[in-house]
Amino acid sequence: MSSDARLVRALVGCYPPVWRRRYGEEYAQLLCDMQVHRRPRLVADSLLGAARAHGGALMSGRPSFALPVWAAALFAAAGIGFAKLAEDLSGVATTAHAAVIVAAAVALLALAVAAAPAAAALVPGRAADAWRYVAVPIVGAAAWCGVARVAAAATAGRTVHSGPNIAAFALIAVTGLGVLAATAWAATRILQRVPLAGPGRLRGSAVTAMATGMAGATFAVLVWGLRVRATDAAAFHSDQGLLATPFVSSWLAVLIALCAASVLGAVAARHHRTAP
Amino acid sequence: MGEELGRWAEPGLLVLTSLAEGAKHGYAITMDVAEQAGVTLGPGTLYAALQRLEQRGLIEGLPAEGRRRPYRLTAAGAAELSAQAERMRRLATLSLDRLQVRPT
Repeated sequence: MSSDARLVRALVGCYPPVWRRRYGEEYAQLLCDMQVHRRPRLVADSLLGAARAHGGALMSGRPSFALPVWAAALFAAAGIGFAKLAEDLSGVATTAHAAVIVAAAVALLALAVAAAPAAAALVPGRAADAWRYVAVPIVGAAAWCGVARVAAAATAGRTVHSGPNIAAFALIAVTGLGVLAATAWAATRILQRVPLAGPGRLRGSAVTAMATGMAGATFAVLVWGLRVRATDAAAFHSDQGLLATPFVSSWLAVLIALCAASVLGAVAARHHRTAP
Repeated sequence: MGEELGRWAEPGLLVLTSLAEGAKHGYAITMDVAEQAGVTLGPGTLYAALQRLEQRGLIEGLPAEGRRRPYRLTAAGAAELSAQAERMRRLATLSLDRLQVRPT
C-alpha cells in the first residue's frame, strides 16, 4: 500500500464506524481526488471533520445519556478532590462548604431522577444483557478498596510528604479515576440497551436540574476557596494533606474539573430540552 | 473571496447552491464552489455539510457511480435555498438602498 493510500485510510479511519459505513468509500475517493497528501490544510480539515462527526455521534439521534453520565463522573471526581482538599480545613468557610454539598446533592439526585426510568426498565429484565455491566462498578469499587488497603499498609508510619506516601496516593487516585471512568462507561452501555422510558419533559427538567446543581457547586467551590484565603491565609502555606498543601493549584484543578462537568451538563441539558 | 463572503459562505448554503445546477458528487461540488464562489471547501467541512443537509432532507444521495456518490437537491432543499436567496436579496437591496442615501 502506498503512503498516499495509507494516509487516506488513516483519515477515513478517524471517523466513527457508523459514519464510515455510510460515507467512508465516497469520502476516501474524495480525498484521493483532492490529492489530500499534498495539502496539509485539507488533512487538518479532515481531522476536524472527524472530531465533529464524533461529537455529532454523541449528540445525534435520540437524546443520549452519555453526556450527563460523563458529566456526573467528572463531577464526582472533582467532588472527591474537593472533599480531600477541604478535610484539613474544617471550620473555615462553613456556609460555602455546606452550599457545595447541597448543590452536589441536587445535581446527583437530579441525575438519579433522570436515569430512574431506565433503571426501572432494567429491573424487569427487559434488557438482560445489560446486567453484566452492573458488575463493573461493584468489581471496580472492590478492586479500589483492595488497592487502597494495600497502599495504606505499605505506607504505614510514613510521613505525609514522603516519596512512598505520594506514590501510594497517586496509585489510589489513578485507580479511583479508572473505576469512575469504567463505571461511567458501564452506565452508558446499560442506558444504550434499555428503552428510553418516561416523559421527555421530566427527563429534560432533571438533566437541567443536574446541570444547575453542578454550576451551583462550582460557584460555591469558588466562593469557598476565596473565603478560605480571606479567613486563613496560612492555609496556603501550611504542611497539611497532599492536596491541601499546594492549596491554590489543587483548588484551581478542582474548579476547572467542576467547570468542565458543568459545561458538559449544560450541553446535555440543552440537548435534552430541545430533543423531540 | 471566501472570507469576503462571511456568513454567506456557510458550507451548507454553498453546497445547496452548487446542487441547484444539477446532481454532483463531492469532488465536483468542491470544484464548482471553488470556481463560482472562490471558497475552498475542505473534505471534512464538505461531508459535515452533506451529512447535515441529508439528515434535514434538503439533499439526497443517488446510487453510487463507482466510488463516487452524486447528491441532488430535494424539493425541500430547493425551497430552503430559494427562501435563503430571497432573504439575502432583500438584505442586499436594503443595504444598497441605505448606502445610497447615506449622508457623506
